[in-house]
Amino acid sequence: MQFNPAPSMFTRRRGVVTTALLLGGLGWLPTSHAVPSFARQTGMACEACHTVWPELTHFGRMFKANGYVLDTQKQVRDVSSEREELLSLAAFPPLSLMVQASYTQLAKPLPDSAAAGTSQNGTVALPQQVSLFYAGKIAPNLGAFLQLTYSNDGGTIAIDNTDIRYANIAVLPDHQSLTYGLSLNNNPTVQDLWNSTPAFGFPYAGSNSAPGIPYATQIDGSRAQDVAGLSAYAFWNESLYGELGVYRSAKQGTAGPLDSTTPGGVLASPAPYWRLAFEHTVERHSIEVGLYGATFKVYPDLGGNPQGNPPTNSGYGHLLGGVSDRYQDVAEDLQYQYLGELHTFSLTATHIHEAQTLNASFAATAAANVSESLTTSRAFATYYYRRKIGGTVGLFKTSGSIDATLAPNSPDTSGWVAELNYLPWLNTKFGIQYTGYSRYSGLGTNYDGLGRNASDNNTLYIMAWLSY
Amino acid sequence: MDTKTTLRSTRRHWPLLIALGLCSLSAIATAAEDPERATTARAERLAITVCGTCHGAMGVSAQPKFPNLAAQNADYLAAELEAFKSQSRGDPDAISYMWGMSAYLDADTMRALADRYAALPPPRLKVADPSLIATGRTLYENGLPDAGVPACGACHGPDGHGLPGFPRLAGQHAQYVLKQLRSFQSNMRNVAVMHGVAAELKITQMRAVAAFIESQP
Repeated sequence: MQFNPAPSMFTRRRGVVTTALLLGGLGWLPTSHAVPSFARQTGMACEACHTVWPELTHFGRMFKANGYVLDTQKQVRDVSSEREELLSLAAFPPLSLMVQASYTQLAKPLPDSAAAGTSQNGTVALPQQVSLFYAGKIAPNLGAFLQLTYSNDGGTIAIDNTDIRYANIAVLPDHQSLTYGLSLNNNPTVQDLWNSTPAFGFPYAGSNSAPGIPYATQIDGSRAQDVAGLSAYAFWNESLYGELGVYRSAKQGTAGPLDSTTPGGVLASPAPYWRLAFEHTVERHSIEVGLYGATFKVYPDLGGNPQGNPPTNSGYGHLLGGVSDRYQDVAEDLQYQYLGELHTFSLTATHIHEAQTLNASFAATAAANVSESLTTSRAFATYYYRRKIGGTVGLFKTSGSIDATLAPNSPDTSGWVAELNYLPWLNTKFGIQYTGYSRYSGLGTNYDGLGRNASDNNTLYIMAWLSY
Repeated sequence: MDTKTTLRSTRRHWPLLIALGLCSLSAIATAAEDPERATTARAERLAITVCGTCHGAMGVSAQPKFPNLAAQNADYLAAELEAFKSQSRGDPDAISYMWGMSAYLDADTMRALADRYAALPPPRLKVADPSLIATGRTLYENGLPDAGVPACGACHGPDGHGLPGFPRLAGQHAQYVLKQLRSFQSNMRNVAVMHGVAAELKITQMRAVAAFIESQP
């Protein structure tokens, strides 16, 4: 999940779909993997797997690592004479529905996108998003988290986060265990087990009518639902986790085969993804520290760039050959959880550094420099009382190279967010979120040259979120 | 839970498994032809791969929310699993966790799980506030005669190791003991004897006796 993955006004006004510093807007809305079909399948309440959804507990992480297959419901079965299980199908499919409705108020209305004047302030979304999930077991060692989403800004139904898993467990000597498996997914880190990584990190919901953070690293949601990846993972003794995978472009809404007219850029070669994490649980405390990263080589989308259409162009972007842009993302993450009877507290943090080598964009004059960098840091603290009333406060900061074409004032964007939530029942959440910006696209004031200040983008977001 | 699935899945030769290049250590397969050994092996695998996530692979849970099961009275464990399955045990965590987890356990597997945990070494001791433990010890050994609360040791044994029909308490997480006492008091966990005992206890007394129990070897 990007911090605010809605197409930002910044993107629209500037008309820049950059390849070097990918603007916010390629992803879908923040989504949850807290779905009631898991509860139906396991017979266990939300609290087994979540502190407050979608944040996972240790048990929830193991449920995911084990392929979403733990079930306690009646099954339709078939068994061979050798007792091999040929079919184990839930009597009722693990389906769930999620509905989000919201209201967004900006500190200052955005300019009208086509004329003088301003846009209306106070945007109602009903729904902002409706998702249908198939989330649960498919076969004895095969499970899926599959999400179809209608979003009001797109007005269409499209594939959302997808994670199809094969998993098994080996029992090792001395009562130790090794959970291992494969994940086929469409968003780097959507398969991850901790909430400190991008796909399922805070904020879990955000406005799609407010300006989002305009620059994001590749692994930070920029390739969500834009790629397909296969990764193999192993989780030793529920504490040491390792994963290796590769991603390749898998566009939605675009007919294949991919070529220079494909929007959003095309991965030039399989992008390696890796993850290493260690978790330790003692008493009520659980702590995780980890590293993750990926390297993407991209034939950039140059369409819409005012300086585009260089000789190598044939339509939107770069011919699929020759030089490409390279993004190397390396990140650290940290998660701490305290699970008490009345109080739960968690801290999540990540720091993503991206080294960019923009040979293709530079050659096409779509970037002013070849070597650039982009760094994102964020940290959030969450507290809940009785898992009913609570909230989150946190800071976020993105900074990077000044590029006369891509980020004339630098991509620096920073601020804070605070959210207050109330859950009258475990599967219903009502929230108020406020996001304050101290810097936006490199400047605190007049960042767009038209007099708009960073704080004008401060956003009040009120939402209702129902999962059933 | 689906106990048969995990066993049988280990015998499957999935191409995916080969691709992964990790071999499953499956002692279960060799024991599969002997029903009793197969059940024991299934219980062992279940205990480590499913139950162990909360209760610890060796029945000593890292999180005090979940009870230690190691060295527990096997009859008690089997009876509780049956109570979860029949949904007759109604304390909050029983409802939210164990009703689901026990739903598809058969009687043989429950018994094998109970025997497995009963044979494991008890948890290590924990250090707690000595004055709280001393108060708890008095309560444990003497009860509250004026209030008609019997000594805990009368049923659970002077050393807390349990007696036939009564569970072991020694070394149990204080947080778990406290929650159970409160559930007995409110009758959410409906055990007449324990409701009578807990009804007269104040929260401070519950804390003290829970701390003492946790400190016992």
